[in-house]
Amino acid sequence: MTVEDIPPATTGSLGAAPSADAIPARLRRSGGSPRQVFRVTLVGTLVLAMLASRDLVTWTERLGDSRALEAVQSLAAEWDGMMAKLGLVRPHEELRLAIRRLLDWEWPGGDD
Amino acid sequence: MLFPTSGFLLFFLVVAAAMTLLERRFAAQKAVLVIASYYFYAQWDWRFCFLLAFSSTVSYAAGRLIGATTDRDRRRLVLGIAIALHLGLLGTFKYLDFFVLSANELARLLGLQHELPFFEVLLPVGISFFTFHGISYIVDVYRGDVAVCRNPLDLALYMSFFPQLIAGPIVRAAYFLPQLARRSAEPIPIAPALLLILGGLFKKVVIANYLAIGLVDPVFAAPTSYGAPDLLFAVYGYAVQIYCDFSAYSDIAIGVAALLGFRFPANFNQPYRAERLREFWQRWHISLSTWLRDYLYKPLGGNRHGKLKAYRNLMVTMLLGGIWHGAGWKFVAWGALHGGGLALERLFEPWLAHHSRHKATRVIATVVVFHFVCLGWIFFRAEDFEVAWLYIAGFGSGWSEGLHQAGPFMVALIAIGMAGQFTSAALFERAAAVLGRVPSWGLGATAGIAVAAINALGPEGVAPFIYFRF
Repeated sequence: MTVEDIPPATTGSLGAAPSADAIPARLRRSGGSPRQVFRVTLVGTLVLAMLASRDLVTWTERLGDSRALEAVQSLAAEWDGMMAKLGLVRPHEELRLAIRRLLDWEWPGGDD
Repeated sequence: MLFPTSGFLLFFLVVAAAMTLLERRFAAQKAVLVIASYYFYAQWDWRFCFLLAFSSTVSYAAGRLIGATTDRDRRRLVLGIAIALHLGLLGTFKYLDFFVLSANELARLLGLQHELPFFEVLLPVGISFFTFHGISYIVDVYRGDVAVCRNPLDLALYMSFFPQLIAGPIVRAAYFLPQLARRSAEPIPIAPALLLILGGLFKKVVIANYLAIGLVDPVFAAPTSYGAPDLLFAVYGYAVQIYCDFSAYSDIAIGVAALLGFRFPANFNQPYRAERLREFWQRWHISLSTWLRDYLYKPLGGNRHGKLKAYRNLMVTMLLGGIWHGAGWKFVAWGALHGGGLALERLFEPWLAHHSRHKATRVIATVVVFHFVCLGWIFFRAEDFEVAWLYIAGFGSGWSEGLHQAGPFMVALIAIGMAGQFTSAALFERAAAVLGRVPSWGLGATAGIAVAAINALGPEGVAPFIYFRF
């Protein structure tokens, strides 16, 4: 392939390996530890579980129908009910509605 | 287990917890990652894990045997056997039925009665990728580009590391194995990694999935039912869909690997802004094009033996690159189209160089290259050759018909996808710098809100990534 003339930034300093890191070195100078990665993931998961509780229910239903899973499913449904009471499912529903409107959007005179 | 699913999020949460608990024990972290990777792979079909283990064992043993001798013939023999085993595995699972079908068609043309039976072999996901990883390792050991890996755990992790296992990027041994020798002293770039993951999720869940459902799939399923404008926009739609789908997988893989403390190479770099076809291949699926360059084009002689042989080598490389994508003549046609285009471009290089000094001609060149690539995508996406020709024939008439399937939202998605090709890289860096100042709980909350929004915006259910089938 004529990538023979590939830019120097992506040609190898490591033998034959292309060495252009996807995340440039200047962005890797600061960051965190595995502990912080875990914290970010945990907080992200909890926030997602609050804001997307509707999908949490659907997801647990797709997992199967064993006895243990039934308990998980009813927990998910309860959780979703709680989130709905707190009004946290509203943004999810509003976004779904907005995207549906966009999908129905037609060119002017499209019905002619 | 797909990246944009709750299942993957929980899986990653467990892996991240294990990485935290084993923060000071790098060897244990690597062992956990190997187990996690095999668990991840087993979610498709546990039997595939044996193939992966076999491929890893072949690579490890070949590396040790090549490293244990200075006898050139013996090293060559081991290299040959190991490559044959890898390609044999790939050929059996990916191409056997294609060869049977082609042989039967040839036999029919020759008037022969006998037909070979089909085996209907199940294609293991990611087999092309881990085969290329294995070949890359043994060839690099043979060439002396990478040290022999003596730790089987390291090689097992190189071959199976879950972020890249199913659809790349193809990470070279010389790039990845040194990262396993000792724990990186660098901090984990959490903010840029999260940005890559969130951007990838948006590209896949919103742009690629809607374009597929709303435009590309229906038009490619029955091209004769649509007018030329819809056909044109469906090809543009597919160009954006496949880019958003595949680059999304790469971005998420790179981000996930970064969160686990590993570096991956870039795999895409705004390919549709290319002014030459050659440049397109320097920007599209970079890890595959550089792999083909280093392990196929160059060993064939590259451009070292005159123009004619360079054209031949280009053609052979692109044809095999096409077949790598799938067992079918449409992929051969796609490869041939690109090989021919690259050869022609090389032939007219002086003329092109002379005329590419002005901005206007460079813009025209970008438009021409994009449309050439789109022509290739028709073969790539169409169900078969016949549908591809019907699709192309559709451009010959029906231009007076308006856009029906390509509604305003679909056109807007195409415009957003194309706009992303021309944004400055500095934008990403600025956003990463801003996010980098946010404390970890804030980063988590921001990511959670963004994922929830992407999830709400996307269609119900998640379609698999296009490159899973390759």
